[in-house]
Amino acid sequence: MLKKAAVTVLSLSLAFTLFGCDKQKLSATEASPQMITIAHVQGTTSVPINPQKVVVFNPATLDTMDALGIKIAAVPQTSVHFPAFLQKYAESDYVNVGGLFEPNYEALSNLKPDLIIAGGRANDAYDKLSEIAPTISLAVDNHDFIDSLTLRTEQLGEIFDKQAEAEKQITQFKQKIAAVKARASDQGTALIILINGGKMSAYGPGSRFGFIYDELGFKPATKLAESGTHGNIVNAEFLLNVNPDWLFVLDRDSAIGNNQALSAKQVLDNPLIHKTKVWQDNKIVYLDSSALYIAGGLQTYNQLLDQINQVLGQQ
Amino acid sequence: MRSAYLYLGIGILIVLSTISLFTGISHLSLATLWSDEEMRDILLISRVPRTLALLLAGSAMSVAGLIMQLLTQNRFVEPSIAGTTQSASLGLLVVMVLAPSAPMIVKMLIASLFAMAGTLLFMLILRKIVLKSALMVPLVGIMLGGVISAITVFAAMYYDLLQSLGAWINGGDFSGVIQGRYELLWLVGGLTLFACWVADRFTVAGLGREFAINVGLNYRQVMLLGLSVIAIISGIVIVVVGALPFLGLIVPNLVSLVMGDNIRKTLPWVCLVGGGLVLLCDIIGRIIRYPFEIPASTILGVFGAMIFLCLLINQSRYAKH
Repeated sequence: MLKKAAVTVLSLSLAFTLFGCDKQKLSATEASPQMITIAHVQGTTSVPINPQKVVVFNPATLDTMDALGIKIAAVPQTSVHFPAFLQKYAESDYVNVGGLFEPNYEALSNLKPDLIIAGGRANDAYDKLSEIAPTISLAVDNHDFIDSLTLRTEQLGEIFDKQAEAEKQITQFKQKIAAVKARASDQGTALIILINGGKMSAYGPGSRFGFIYDELGFKPATKLAESGTHGNIVNAEFLLNVNPDWLFVLDRDSAIGNNQALSAKQVLDNPLIHKTKVWQDNKIVYLDSSALYIAGGLQTYNQLLDQINQVLGQQ
Repeated sequence: MRSAYLYLGIGILIVLSTISLFTGISHLSLATLWSDEEMRDILLISRVPRTLALLLAGSAMSVAGLIMQLLTQNRFVEPSIAGTTQSASLGLLVVMVLAPSAPMIVKMLIASLFAMAGTLLFMLILRKIVLKSALMVPLVGIMLGGVISAITVFAAMYYDLLQSLGAWINGGDFSGVIQGRYELLWLVGGLTLFACWVADRFTVAGLGREFAINVGLNYRQVMLLGLSVIAIISGIVIVVVGALPFLGLIVPNLVSLVMGDNIRKTLPWVCLVGGGLVLLCDIIGRIIRYPFEIPASTILGVFGAMIFLCLLINQSRYAKH
C-alpha cells in the first residue's frame, strides 16, 4: 500500500517537473538569456551571461571593467570624483544612479537593469539592490590581493564573455608585479601614510593600502596594528623614530578633488620630517591618491606599479 | 591654607607636564638631554609645543566656559552647548569653501567672527523667551547648536567637505601639534590672562543685569567683552586643535563646588584644572595604544560624560547651597 502511494507521488511530481521544464524551454526560445552562478563577497547569485544594462556602484570594479572594455549603462555620479582615467563616466552618456553610499532607487527602478555590481561603499545597500536586479559584489580581499583580483577579473570575463581579454590582462599585470618586486625587494623598509585635514595616519600590511608591502616586497618599517579604513593616528615624531627607507603618501584632500586644502606636502614640510632618511634621500612618493582612494582596480594598480617602477629607476 | 592647596595644584601640573614632555615615540632621557642634539630637537620641536598647546587650550576653554556660565547665569552652559563651537565650525567651513588656502590667522578670524555671531544670537534668544527652569538655557543652546551644525553638515555635504571638516573639528587631537603649528594658541593664553585681570566685572555681571547696573557696571560693555573673549578662544582652539567637549562645563563646576563663586579666586584654579585635565587625557591617549594615538577629545569625552552625570545627579543637593 505504502509503496504504491510512493510510486504515485513520485510519478506525479516527475510529471509536474517535466511539465515545468517544458514551459521553461518555451520561454527560453523567446528571450531569456543563459545564467551563470557567481560566488561573491555577499553571497552566491545567479546572473545572466552578457547582460545588456549593467549598473556599477563600486569604482574599483568599474576600473577593472573599463580595462576589459565592458559596456556599462549606469554609474553613481552624485558627489563622485572619478580619477582622470575614469572621468568619462561622469558624463551624461551614463545614467546617474545616485551616490557611492546611497543608491537612487527611483532611477534604478526606471532603468530596469539586468545586473547590478555593488560592493565597496554600497555594501549596506545590497539587500535593497537585490530586489531590483541580480546583484553581486566583486570587492577584492586585501589580505589576498593578487589571487582575489585575479578571481574577480576572471569572473567579470565569464559574465561578459571576455575570458581571453581577462586572462591576457591578468598575465600582464602579474608580470609587471614580478618586475617591480624584483627591483623593490632589496629597497628596504617602507611606510604608507594617509594625510587628511593636516593629520597623519599609518597603514600596515593586509590593510586597504597594504599592497605595497604584501605584493611588492617592501618590508613594513614597523609593526602596525590592524585598523579600520582610516588607519592608525601617528605624528611626525613617529615617522622620525620609525625612519623608513621609503614613505608612500596618500593625500585624502586631493583624492576627493579638494586640491587647495593644506596639502600633504605642506604637512610633511616640518623640522622633524626634515631629519628623516626619506626627506634627505628624497624618497617620499606621493601616490595618485584619487585613483587609489576612489577606485583601486586593475588600471589603478597598473599605474601604481608604473609609478613605483619609475621612482625606483631614478635611484 | 588656600595658597598651600594652590601650590599643591601647581606641583601636580608640573609633574603632569614633565610626564607629557617625556611621553612619546622616541626615548628621551634627562641625563643625556643636553648633550644629545637629536633629543634636544625632539624635545623642542615636538614635546614642548605639544605640552604648551595642551595647557593653553585646556585652560582657555575652561575659562571660556566659566565666563559663559556667569554671563548666562546658568551652570550648565559652555561654548559647545550654546552654539558657539558650532558657529565657529560653520565659519571654518566657509573659509574652506571660499578660500581654502587662506593662512591660519584668516581661518581663525572668520571662525571667531562666526562664533561671536552665534553666541550673540543665543543671548538674544535667551532674552526673548521666558525661562521657567534653569535647564531651559542649555536646552535652548543645544537646539540652536543643532540648527547651526545641521546647516554646516548640509553645506559640507554639498561641497564634499564632510570628512575634511570632520578631521578638522571632531579631532580635538594634538597629534599634529609641533613647532610652527600651535603658536596662535599664545593669543588664547593672552586672552585667558586678560579674563583673569577683569574677573571682578564678570563676577558682578553674573549677579544679574539689574544688580550690575545698580552697582554702576557698564553691563552692555561687560557682556560684549565676555562674548568676544569666548568667541575668540573658541575660534582659535577649533582651528588649531579641534573641539574639546565638556571641558568648559565640568571644570568650572568642579572648581565652584569646592571653592565657591568668587571668580577672582577661582579663575586660577579653573585654568589649572582645565589645563591639567586636557594634559592628562592626552597623556592617556598617547599611552594606551602606543605607538599610535587616540585623540585627547575622545578620552575627555569619556571622563567628561562621567563627571557631568555625577554633577547632574548631585545637582539638587548642590543647588541648595
